[in-house]
Amino acid sequence: MNALSYISISFLIIPLMALFICILLKRSRQNLGFYLMGLFTLTQMGFALHGLVLFNNLKISEFLFGLPITESLTDIFTLKSVSLVILFCIGLVALVSLLIANKTMPEDKKLSYLRLLSTLILGMNGIVLINDLFTMYLFIEIIGISSFVLISTTKTQEGLESAFIYLVMSALASILILTGIAFIFMRTGNVEFSYLIEVAKTQGNAPQNALTYLSYILIISGLLIKTGAVPFHSWLPDAHQSADTSVSVLLSGIVIKAAGVYCLITVTEIFGNLYVIRLSLAIIGIITIAIGALFALHQNHFKRILAYSSVSQMGYMLLGISAGGVLGLIGTVFHIFNHAVFKSTLFTNAAAIHEETHTLEIDKMGGLQKQMPITATTSLIAFLSTAGIPPLSGFWSKLLIIIALWNAGFIGFGITALVLSIFTAAYFLRLQMNVFFGQTPESMKNVHEVGGSIKFAEVFLTIITVAVGLGFPFILLYLEASGIL
Amino acid sequence: MEITISICLGFMLIFAVIAVMNKSMLKSAIALALVSIMLGVVLYLLSAEWAAVFEISVCSGLVTVISVSAISLTNEDKGQLQKKYMDKKRMAILPYILILSGFLLVFIVLTAKIDLPYDKISEPVSDSLSEVLWNSRQADVWGQIIILLTGAFAVVTLFKEA
Amino acid sequence: MSAFEIAVLATGFLLILAGCFCLMRTYHIIKIIIGIEIAMKAVTLFIAYAGHINGEMGLAQSFIITIIVVEVVIAVVLSGISLNLYKKYKSMDLRNIRKLKG
Repeated sequence: MNALSYISISFLIIPLMALFICILLKRSRQNLGFYLMGLFTLTQMGFALHGLVLFNNLKISEFLFGLPITESLTDIFTLKSVSLVILFCIGLVALVSLLIANKTMPEDKKLSYLRLLSTLILGMNGIVLINDLFTMYLFIEIIGISSFVLISTTKTQEGLESAFIYLVMSALASILILTGIAFIFMRTGNVEFSYLIEVAKTQGNAPQNALTYLSYILIISGLLIKTGAVPFHSWLPDAHQSADTSVSVLLSGIVIKAAGVYCLITVTEIFGNLYVIRLSLAIIGIITIAIGALFALHQNHFKRILAYSSVSQMGYMLLGISAGGVLGLIGTVFHIFNHAVFKSTLFTNAAAIHEETHTLEIDKMGGLQKQMPITATTSLIAFLSTAGIPPLSGFWSKLLIIIALWNAGFIGFGITALVLSIFTAAYFLRLQMNVFFGQTPESMKNVHEVGGSIKFAEVFLTIITVAVGLGFPFILLYLEASGIL
Repeated sequence: MEITISICLGFMLIFAVIAVMNKSMLKSAIALALVSIMLGVVLYLLSAEWAAVFEISVCSGLVTVISVSAISLTNEDKGQLQKKYMDKKRMAILPYILILSGFLLVFIVLTAKIDLPYDKISEPVSDSLSEVLWNSRQADVWGQIIILLTGAFAVVTLFKEA
Repeated sequence: MSAFEIAVLATGFLLILAGCFCLMRTYHIIKIIIGIEIAMKAVTLFIAYAGHINGEMGLAQSFIITIIVVEVVIAVVLSGISLNLYKKYKSMDLRNIRKLKG
């Protein structure tokens, strides 16, 4: 038990230590800060994997712990197996963001980027570890403030405009979530997850009080604004387009997932028994996939296409949540991991292209495959994974979600999701044709391959995609053997 | 006691509408401070003494000082303010919306016979605030420390001249 | 429902409505702070009333104290960015920096 308690405490203590080190760091030593933060994120990934191994050996599924500050060691945090997978994703995306920011961030902003990155990691680690509705709101607020300041770090005109839109939508979402929590507190005197799950089990599918329905609608609406689902998605494309690429990776890779989808998973456990709510989540999911894909077909800016693609993939995760059951949960969590990996690969490619050609409008590019071969190959593999081509990892997660929908009785939704993945392939194919294949225009004749940390990040992420895709059947067999499936 | 609370709630609404609709930013900030004081009185009458003290000292003190200093450092000409922002015209519809929705809410509640799910007002459970805050809500205290550090770093980042 | 309950709940709803209206329709950056603060005070009122009914006053007071800390941090960060914008663009108007399309 000792190793597990050290691991679980370190998820919160290590980013705090990084925070204090960044306070003491001088401007001249900021590269040392980058190396330290890289080391810390690698440690977080290693600890998450080690935690999964320990959970398997000890045959437990959750672990309560507390921070050893007061004498009475109260158990205030909970570590679940789902949390470990998301902690691994957080470490991975933070590492990729550091590798990109090493090259693209202007020199005088690197130290403030490091500090805000540590508070962001702290907020996201906190959300997956707590067992309480109100603390979840508090950590959502921490993530909101940190990402708002990160978006507005480069003080260009577009950056500030999109930061303000993000702030207004985020404040609206916070108010809705908080009002929902206040109504739940009015109904039952306790807001802990364990207590609310007990109450939900005894009630089953019975019709509820009007106050209860109102609180559920408010909390789900607030969380949908944070996720970027339609019709609340208007902040997402602007924020991704105008922020620096390292911040876009963070936003699309973990912020909309930790603060949005993971909180929806935990909240759906409380009232997932109500059929009306699951049906409405499924309808919103289908509309999100469709509208995200349709808008992505018209755009001309590389990062804007990727932002609408994120909106579309959030729809798949909403479908997985609404399907319910163990298969739906495993499909959604695995899709979170896959989306983190392939969206980070695509944003890294965007950073590479921006570094070399200083533009991101795709109608000015063409035929870059001969000059940037590694970028083209990794982008192609990421595109195949998004569209769900076997044997890459994206195929498995989409398959699991569609099978879960079939089991839950949402057969029409499953068929529609399958048909809509043609749109996913369509807009990515258009992107690839415009950027990498075709004729090279005159202005692009002398770009060369990007070097250094960005190339390393691309290759690393592609290796993970292919390896997990080839090895996923073994994970499925293992899960079946240990009785979870 | 209930009549006092209702009068304070009425004043809160009036001050809030003044804060939203006024065209001078200074008067809006002072109206916000008055809303906080009224809320503090209501909290004290609902037997939440510590929360009332925090509300009056922090919200109507600290937040008002911060907003007033931000307003006075970014001072624009009063004639300009009136012409550019047109706050009174843009938000002139607010009192009508509020009165209409107030009547609508009361009407819905009375006709649909919606009831709050409790029988009678319970006696206060004898947990003092310090026990609750430090023992069972310790995660909240950690969250507060982290959000204060985040706010400090955000201000440092925003004030560095590029 | 007694008249007192209706008064408290109706005031809370109307304050949230006023706050969200101010948040979405304003052109001045500092008014955003005022809108968010008014809506959070409405939530404070709901939580205090819920604690009064349930008898769990300690829990309600710790919620209220946490919400007050969040309000202060939001006010400080927004004032900071408004001062920064004023130094750069010499205006507090949000319309001056609106250029992106949705």
